[in-house]
Amino acid sequence: MRRFVAGRLAQAAIVVFLVTTVTFVLVHLAPGDPFATALARPGITEALRQQQREAFGLDRPLGEQYLRWIGNAARGELGWSISFNRPVRDVIADALPRTLLLVGLSLALSFALGIVVAVLQTERPGGRRDRWLGRILLLLYSVPDFWLALVVLLIFAYWLPIFPPSGIVDPVRHDYMSFSGRLLDRLSHLVLPVTTLTLLATAAISRHQRSALMEVMPSDWMRTAIAKGMSHRRAVRRHALRNALLPAITLAGLYLPALAAGALFVEKVYSWPGMGLLAANAIVTRDYHLVTAAVLISSIAVALGALLADVAVAAADPRIRVS
Amino acid sequence: MAGVLLIGCTEVKQQPQTAGPADIGGTMVVATPAEPGTILPGLYSTSVERQVTDLLFDRLAEIGDDLNSIGDKGFTPQLATRWEWAPDSLSIVFHLDPRARWHDGQPVRASDVRYSVSLIKDPTFGSPMASSTMNVDSVSVRDSLTAVAYFKKHTPEQFFDLVYQVSIVPEHILGNTPPAQLRTAEVARRGIGSGRFRLAHWDQGKRLELIADTANYRGRAKLDRIVYSVSLDFNSAVARLFTGDADFFEQLRPENMAKVEKDTSLRALPYPSLQHTFLALNMIDPAHPGQPNPIFGDRTVRRALTMAVDRAGMLRNVFGAMAHPSYGPFPRFLAVADTTLPQLPYDTLRARALLDSAGWTPGPDGVRTKNGQRLAFTITTTVSSATRKQYAVLLQEAFKRVGAAVNIDATDFAGSAAKLAGRSFETTLVTFAPDPNVSGIRQAWSSAALGKDGLNYPSYVNPIVDALLDSATISFDPARARAYSRRAFEIIIEDAPGIWLYEAPTVAGIHKRIHTTGLRADEYWARMADWWIPASERTPRDRIGLRPAPTP
Repeated sequence: MRRFVAGRLAQAAIVVFLVTTVTFVLVHLAPGDPFATALARPGITEALRQQQREAFGLDRPLGEQYLRWIGNAARGELGWSISFNRPVRDVIADALPRTLLLVGLSLALSFALGIVVAVLQTERPGGRRDRWLGRILLLLYSVPDFWLALVVLLIFAYWLPIFPPSGIVDPVRHDYMSFSGRLLDRLSHLVLPVTTLTLLATAAISRHQRSALMEVMPSDWMRTAIAKGMSHRRAVRRHALRNALLPAITLAGLYLPALAAGALFVEKVYSWPGMGLLAANAIVTRDYHLVTAAVLISSIAVALGALLADVAVAAADPRIRVS
Repeated sequence: MAGVLLIGCTEVKQQPQTAGPADIGGTMVVATPAEPGTILPGLYSTSVERQVTDLLFDRLAEIGDDLNSIGDKGFTPQLATRWEWAPDSLSIVFHLDPRARWHDGQPVRASDVRYSVSLIKDPTFGSPMASSTMNVDSVSVRDSLTAVAYFKKHTPEQFFDLVYQVSIVPEHILGNTPPAQLRTAEVARRGIGSGRFRLAHWDQGKRLELIADTANYRGRAKLDRIVYSVSLDFNSAVARLFTGDADFFEQLRPENMAKVEKDTSLRALPYPSLQHTFLALNMIDPAHPGQPNPIFGDRTVRRALTMAVDRAGMLRNVFGAMAHPSYGPFPRFLAVADTTLPQLPYDTLRARALLDSAGWTPGPDGVRTKNGQRLAFTITTTVSSATRKQYAVLLQEAFKRVGAAVNIDATDFAGSAAKLAGRSFETTLVTFAPDPNVSGIRQAWSSAALGKDGLNYPSYVNPIVDALLDSATISFDPARARAYSRRAFEIIIEDAPGIWLYEAPTVAGIHKRIHTTGLRADEYWARMADWWIPASERTPRDRIGLRPAPTP
């Protein structure tokens, strides 16, 4: 196992290096630069733009810029965000916990809900409950994330103004609230984006989980358990579910990178200042260091997610041997 | 200026004109589509950066509502209580208000004025305003409250150049940091100015909070606080306004108007603006810089294409009754604007005849050709602007009717800006707000504005226009400046280096409890410190007051 993990970590390091390199080159090749967005301002001259490029080292050859960035990144310095006028490390340190909260909560709820729904469906496969839940899940699985986010926003913030439409806290009153008030304020701002993400992920998880359960249901050991007097529901929970968890673990590994990469469209609709929104805006403003750092973190998360999923699958099912 | 007055009159009918003593307080939450990257005057480049710096920092004097930039007519005191011109007009003595204090309590001194001017002019600081203050030679300190500004030459706009372009910043805060490092320095993020609002809190990516400077020498701001809350998505920002989460959103779209009218808590707030949009026709061949464009280098073709466009119809199609047509290379709120100038008519028959006469004959596919060159070109626009994308499609159709094949290249802002800077576009939709003076026009349409440093995007050159704009710029008589400008505008319209399309409706959505005062065309926020919320209309967030937030 140790050799396996070490090998996968080495592979992951190569993948992260390649992805970061390609991103660094591509974002520099895109038309415009961080100072292009200020172009229409009267008085901004080419000499001034060039002066700024020199100040930030953007006039240097691309290879030199990259080597310098890699060297700094190895020391934990991810560069300077020109659009935020702050160190990239600080900008990411602000955005990453917000994304971890949003996506982490959503994933936890999605897996819990997805598995419960799958169990409910498989209690009577083909029954009315299974059919209706299947239709709803298919619908949720099919809708684009931004569309669902807008619909949820429209219903629960606009038509029925129950929850705040955006942001992570009340922009004015939050600081003046009691501790419980702040907590409630934060939770109320989480409801709509978490609900949207949860609905989207639950659909996928539940469909996979149902298929896995359906595969193990006809097994001899399930028939034996039921023949010995165990209720169908108990047999599913105690035996079938454990043996059908592998797809869920694999899916968890696939979803894990979203913890670091964020959920762009949902973050945008709900003005949630997380990693997805940060990366997208960094691309638009050609904030080179911020884009590269965001991709670096996302690619690390992807590599780690895949590794953790493999290790978890092996741990969950002793029949699977990693090599 | 009529528009400014009309808007003012409408508000007089709807709202009480002035705030009473009890009407001080309240909070306005502004949903902003972008957050400031800097709050240091002299470095701003976006609208929200300019807005926040204007609220935090004062100038020596404030331009009048008529935006007169000649001499000092209409300017009202701000940090300077009065000023005196030298007999040769090459220097002006500014007497500072002795009550003026920085937000940290230190007095505003004449040395701050000297520092502010030298900072703007310092090439290592990298201020966009540096070129506008080239005529300001230096500032000397006569005593702590008297600054003397010296100019290189006597010009009509020398007062404007200094007073409008330079906000006064504190030397004791910024002076120890080299100008080249100020863009990224921590001290530049403190926002310590002398304005009627002070910076309370800035949580980047989330919100920026300004609170009233209660001891301000110009009087306490009527609102307790303004909170800029970042909503990068348009729909999300509008939703925040309609749900009451925000009180103000700067730029509503036509489709939002019906909802605002139905909403009992909101009102539409039209405000004047200097933005206007045109299709720039690049007269230089982007493939062979330095050579004339094979299509748009010909004045006849440019005129024909202009005549092919039903500008009034497009305006109705895209904006309904909300927008105004663009009348030429100027926004209608500019002091020298003239909306009665003769225009090239919409006449497709004449357009076709002109193209025929210029040797562009229809080919088998309906696209005209001349000497093997097809009448085919690209309209560059930004993906982020729904309006400009609509216009690009309508223009494509209009040009097709006279035998031109048009592609649309919708790119992101940075890509579009790079094409504009490199003059590597064929045609592009430009939305532009010039400085509110004659020089602003010269910056965009004279041959002095050619090249990457200038804003003459179509690379338009006409020596007569140059001479007329020069004359307008150096004219001390506003009437003569207007006459010179008018003649220059007439020639530009006839030469058709661009197709003047629209002045987009600038309508904000605002909560009805917030009462506004005079909205200036260059900065609608100029008097935001006098906006107020009647005590009887307050909501819970208005009642927080100025008490500091408890420590978590």
